[in-house]
Amino acid sequence: MDAKVIKEEQIGRSVPRMEGAAKVTGRAEYIHNIRLPGVLHGKMFRSRIAHGRIVSIDTSAARAVAGVHSVVTGEDIQRLIAEPYYGPAFHDQPVLALHKVRYVGEPVAVVLATDPHVAEYAAGLITAQYEELPAVFNEVEAATSPIHVHDELKPAITFPDLKHLKGKRGTNIALDYKLRRGDVEAQFASAAHVFEHEFHTQHIMHTPFEPFVALAEPMDDSITIHTSTQMPAYVRLEIARLLGWPENKVKVRTAWLGGGFGAKVYVKIEPMVVALALLARRPVKMSLTMEEQFYVIGKHATTFRIKSAVTADGRISARKCEVFWNGGAYADIGPRVSQKSGFTSTGPYRIEHAQIDSAEIYTNLPPAGAFRGFGIPQLVWAYESHTDIIARALNIDPLEFRRRNILREGDEHPTGTAMRDAEFEEVLVRISARMGWDQPFDRGTGTKRRGRGIAIGVKASIAPTTSFALVNVSADGSAVLFCNTIDMGQGSNTSMAQLVAQVLGTSSERVRVTQADTDVTPFDMGTLGSRSMFHMGHAVRLAAEHAREQLEALCAETGIEYQDEHSIAQAFRKKFGMQAGNIFGVGHYTSRYQPADHDTGMSKEITPFWMIGGTGIELEVDTETGHVTILRMVNVVDAGRAVNPRVVDTQISGAALMQMGATLSEEMVFNEGELTNPSLAFYKIPGMRDMPVAIENEALEAETRSGPFGAKGVGESGTFGVSPAIANAIDDAIGVRLYSLPLTPEAIYRGICAARGEPLVD
Amino acid sequence: MTPFELLEPQTLPEALALLSDDDAGIRPIGGGTALMLMMKAAVLAPTRLVSLRGLQGTLGSIAMTADGALHLGGLASLSALEHSALVAQHAPVITRAMTHLSNVRVRNVATVGGALAHADPHMDLPPVLAALDARVQIAGPLGTRELTIDELISGYYETALKRNEIITGVQIPASAGRAAGRCAAYLKCTTRAADDWPALGVAVSFLYSNRTISDARVVIGAATDRPTRARAAEALLSQSMGDATTLQKAGDALAAEVQFTTDAQGSAAYKRQLARVHLGRAVNAALAQT
Repeated sequence: MDAKVIKEEQIGRSVPRMEGAAKVTGRAEYIHNIRLPGVLHGKMFRSRIAHGRIVSIDTSAARAVAGVHSVVTGEDIQRLIAEPYYGPAFHDQPVLALHKVRYVGEPVAVVLATDPHVAEYAAGLITAQYEELPAVFNEVEAATSPIHVHDELKPAITFPDLKHLKGKRGTNIALDYKLRRGDVEAQFASAAHVFEHEFHTQHIMHTPFEPFVALAEPMDDSITIHTSTQMPAYVRLEIARLLGWPENKVKVRTAWLGGGFGAKVYVKIEPMVVALALLARRPVKMSLTMEEQFYVIGKHATTFRIKSAVTADGRISARKCEVFWNGGAYADIGPRVSQKSGFTSTGPYRIEHAQIDSAEIYTNLPPAGAFRGFGIPQLVWAYESHTDIIARALNIDPLEFRRRNILREGDEHPTGTAMRDAEFEEVLVRISARMGWDQPFDRGTGTKRRGRGIAIGVKASIAPTTSFALVNVSADGSAVLFCNTIDMGQGSNTSMAQLVAQVLGTSSERVRVTQADTDVTPFDMGTLGSRSMFHMGHAVRLAAEHAREQLEALCAETGIEYQDEHSIAQAFRKKFGMQAGNIFGVGHYTSRYQPADHDTGMSKEITPFWMIGGTGIELEVDTETGHVTILRMVNVVDAGRAVNPRVVDTQISGAALMQMGATLSEEMVFNEGELTNPSLAFYKIPGMRDMPVAIENEALEAETRSGPFGAKGVGESGTFGVSPAIANAIDDAIGVRLYSLPLTPEAIYRGICAARGEPLVD
Repeated sequence: MTPFELLEPQTLPEALALLSDDDAGIRPIGGGTALMLMMKAAVLAPTRLVSLRGLQGTLGSIAMTADGALHLGGLASLSALEHSALVAQHAPVITRAMTHLSNVRVRNVATVGGALAHADPHMDLPPVLAALDARVQIAGPLGTRELTIDELISGYYETALKRNEIITGVQIPASAGRAAGRCAAYLKCTTRAADDWPALGVAVSFLYSNRTISDARVVIGAATDRPTRARAAEALLSQSMGDATTLQKAGDALAAEVQFTTDAQGSAAYKRQLARVHLGRAVNAALAQT
């Protein structure tokens, strides 16, 4: 590219968020606000039992309610779709329960009415008779339980590594990723030190403030789906597959998303609204309540057994990881979580002998899937707590112990992939420098004790995946970018516009980004797993370069020097005699990837890039109540080159604070499969008064050579280190080690009592 | 939420006439902050709501009475309490409690009467008013009556109110006022997030002169099924200097005498510990106001 024509560097510029004004003035469009004539509203009747065969569903009272259009059950759906099962990994989830229910809250029937209140009232009149079956809830129990959530496994063909599970019966294990490297048992037998611990994480919910909403609009010979999704292209594919229609008869469009965090990936309520609309031959809208969100998708609860061999000089020689992922009743993308994150279970350390067993397990709980961090926070929680315990036991400074074992450039990850552009040590260095790790630390007095802790985690990108982009340059030199990356609050539209402007040599403010509409925006795998800046970033860069080549040719043809948008406008006018015409630039990108060997889990190219995040925490514990005050939170990530530093900064703090909630307070509490706290009054996410006293973020000055303009994803890296850094700081403050999230004041106080030999008696 | 009839009377007699002691489907509604949540959750499905908003003009005032008591109108909003100069002067503990009571959106519409009639044990105002010896004024078809907070709130979401009665006001007697030398504090302790239903609320008030505490009142909320006086702790505090040893003994006495309940905010055992610790902290907070 010719550098001299760029008036201002667009990369590295904190361009203000393009949608900011529209959002704060209430003008931004959301799917919730769409009003269509003739629309029917759907309200669900849900299972109240965790596992059972459906004997009968009585919808007569609901049908008799004035204003009810119809009541639809799973059998009605089958009149339209013979095999109404969906899911990215397994075709296991029925549009509405068929034959069986598998968790409390599973949709069993839907009432359609023009008035949503009527639909809700009528749904409350539906009753169902079940033949109750024994249920299984705990992931470790379910791994070997004689109670099976599904009679037979039905993997989707899209995942080659699930093929061997096709038709398998008598199991709850939906994926069993294995890594075998060296000989861990021999190391455990001969090592100077061996450490073994078990850690737990709890079920939590994404809590986007815009709950799931979708509206299906049957057209003459096609259907339009207005939906709040992170994956419009996948929604189109999956709906087309279910209906047996070509893709071009399904149009999926989005508006702004009020948060996603992984909840709105793949399909969620879209198959239901589509089926209902086609059955009713009218537009159907479903707007879930905040409470209903708890029954759609959550984050895996986990049990992680970790065992390490350590040499006399403090080097980790072997590590064995056994991870059980509680996937709930339907697999959703859970098997991908347990594999793509599972292979990083040993952490960012150079370990010669490694063994990983990471299993996705069906249980009779609401489904679990992708959640900001894609399983990594659960793993880092365990391995970085474990790492700290080892360091303290060996009387080695926790920072020094990590630096002694950390992966460096060129080192081989246990999977066999060499480390490239992965600044692990620099992240540790920057956290410790900011915290003054080598300086004396005020440890508090009396009932207020202070401690500090650090933790670092690593994540691989989902691969291989593909992005397409299209840049349309108008005759005045302004440009529109058509891309399916969904801006759900992370600022991607602004960043993507910057890439286009950088290539074209215009200003970012002259580039507009369309909302996704699969009729016009080209394919993209989806907005998840911090993949967009890398994959879509490349596609956008290539599309803009393609446009620029054509613009330069146009300028050459018309004898105008290519400089900026004014010269572009001149060239168009000269060529077409007026302000007319377009230039289309197209680009696409597929990441490089070598699948992991089924038996060893190894691959020379397991990920196109590594994400790295670490956190340092200083906190104070009230030893009389167990309350924790986070005095300082330091988050450092390697995000490659920051395209928009301000967006990167807010992504880091947003991710870290979200994980802070998962660490300290959030928990979906189940009693025999029944969720006891499905409301924001009883499921507590952090508010403004829960923020750390001080928070600071840093994106290293790094470059991802394989990334567009040196950039890579940053949406999740801030989550990685938070939970163990807090637990490590608590241990540092009061000598109490906790093995289960969340770290509530009561859990901490109970730990204090137990440590002094006076357990709190109920 | 199922459809219902909404009536908006403009006078107290009209409102009383629209209520019924026999029909559980008819409910008065003040700010509606609790009622609407219960209706959305389908816990409650009233057929008729009698809005008391129209009475805000007559029953929403905050004033001093002739005998020096502070009168809080039953329809006064919590934010009116929060911003009232009279409240700040006479009962500053209420002003301080308001800033951390729910959030500004709730305080703008929630009412004094509603905060008492709802009788959710996690609410902040009842223990504070109980510690200030407040009297609750109630109007019904047969006339008016007056109850203490202890008499009014009889159990978990239970009150002595009849379905056709309305709380018209609350009076804090002159003897409980700041001018009479009474110190007071309210501490609440949340366990999941700062903005949450408390696991414990502790309201204390006492007279303080010659560095000695007298006539102490200690009321526990949230950790119990209704606002609960801790009389053994009160006895230990009264005639003491509020020294550390006394506070510890009083905390132990409180922990022993009060029946704590387990709920989503914490176990009974943990709440007992919170109460033990927070009594002393509340007394110290009240002393810091002197």
